Amino acid sequence: MTDDATRTLGKGSIPPGPVPEGVIRLYSMRFCPYAHRTRLVLRAKGIRHEVININLRNKPEWYFTKHPFGQIPVLENSKCQLIYESVIACEYLDDAYPGRKLYPYDPYERARQKMLLELFYKVPHLTKECLVALRCGRDCADLKLALRQEFCNLEEILGYQNTVFFGGDCISMIDYLFWPWFERLDVYGIADCVNHTPTLRLWIAAMKQDPTVCSLLTDKNTFLGFLNLYFQNNPAAFDYGLSC
Amino acid sequence: MSGGSARSLGKGSAPPGPVPEGLIRVYSMRFCPYAQRTRLVLTAKGIRHEVININLKNKPEWFFKKNPSGLVPVLETSLGQLICESAITCEYLDEAYPGKKLWPSDPYEKACQKMVFESFSKVPPLISRILRTQNKEDCSGLKEELQKEITKLEEVLTDKKTAFFGGSSLSMIDYLIWPWFERLEALELNECVDQAPTLKLWMAAMKKDPTVSSLLTDVKTFQGFLSLYLQDSPEACDYGL
Repeated sequence: MTDDATRTLGKGSIPPGPVPEGVIRLYSMRFCPYAHRTRLVLRAKGIRHEVININLRNKPEWYFTKHPFGQIPVLENSKCQLIYESVIACEYLDDAYPGRKLYPYDPYERARQKMLLELFYKVPHLTKECLVALRCGRDCADLKLALRQEFCNLEEILGYQNTVFFGGDCISMIDYLFWPWFERLDVYGIADCVNHTPTLRLWIAAMKQDPTVCSLLTDKNTFLGFLNLYFQNNPAAFDYGLSC
Repeated sequence: MSGGSARSLGKGSAPPGPVPEGLIRVYSMRFCPYAQRTRLVLTAKGIRHEVININLKNKPEWFFKKNPSGLVPVLETSLGQLICESAITCEYLDEAYPGKKLWPSDPYEKACQKMVFESFSKVPPLISRILRTQNKEDCSGLKEELQKEITKLEEVLTDKKTAFFGGSSLSMIDYLIWPWFERLEALELNECVDQAPTLKLWMAAMKKDPTVSSLLTDVKTFQGFLSLYLQDSPEACDYGL
């Protein structure tokens, strides 16, 4: 049970109060891969935080004061400062909070991680398109081919580097930034897209052993329950699996 | 020393040797707005560097070893390290070299500049499309979109109540977005800032900055380049030399 297992706020909900000092707030949604990045970083760095889940199909009016288009994730601190765009939010957390640094210290190694992120940019769109196609009963052979090509590129990098993780022998920011889409391959029905990339599969296995990744894993049935309702346009989707 | 006015290297040219110690090399093109970002940062921080211009209409085979996508800018260090993507090169230079920091040290202020940068990101591809569109109707549609993006930036700057996007002095975000504003006049898109008085003031202030003004390209030269570039001429990149 993760710390974000709370019901979403939707239209007509009361805006939350200011963020208490010593805590940072994340506006999120339990199944969103972009918000997942931010939750991974918060957890990896042991940052005290609270999560407010937003009903993305029934957004609260007040939420547009946090983000102009009502997107997640958004960070809000006790000084009322708002930070959005998942990558910017993750970098902000790494810069602003002490303890374990997720980006390397060396400027060249930092630049390498940022270049790797550029290489990844087609993956979120392709995985989502595959999901939608499969859910709508459409053929997605071309999309899967394109996705496999992207995975081949990543496989080459790992092979060339000869390291377990994308940043080296320890898990670091780039691995967390990639992870949410790989966690979703199985539940999206496209796990076979890593059939020809053994090093990437080893990376996936290593990631699943990371305590932070582990602590935020969503169980498959809960995710499927969400997806079923989501594709029926049911606004209750976002709260699927919550006990109350 | 910049050597930014050297003839470009094209197909069949000999690959350059390793980068001498104490220098960083930038693979560039005199009229490329993305490469201009990197040259602005190199100049603003007083970093000793050499420039190798690449003929983007006739790329040397060896250049694909520096960047498989064949794009400029690329930084190469004396250790043979290669850094691509203009924003990444700028950030690398700011982190790796001493002296004036162009990104703010406050994490929130830095995040704000990156959010403005995200917001700006629609502008370069829009301008590219406008350049390549012959059809007047499509063009005016694109110009309207550009107008909208510029209005957003006008609002950001007006809200901040400062001369520059990062505060009262020039910083990274100003350099990152400047190259496209510099080109508005040459591209006959000045009308897009007609309703943006704060941006116009910012543009005037930018032109007074020693770094910006040292790298300014005059309108006629840029237009000469552009005309050849749009015709895919291998002479384009060396126009004016």
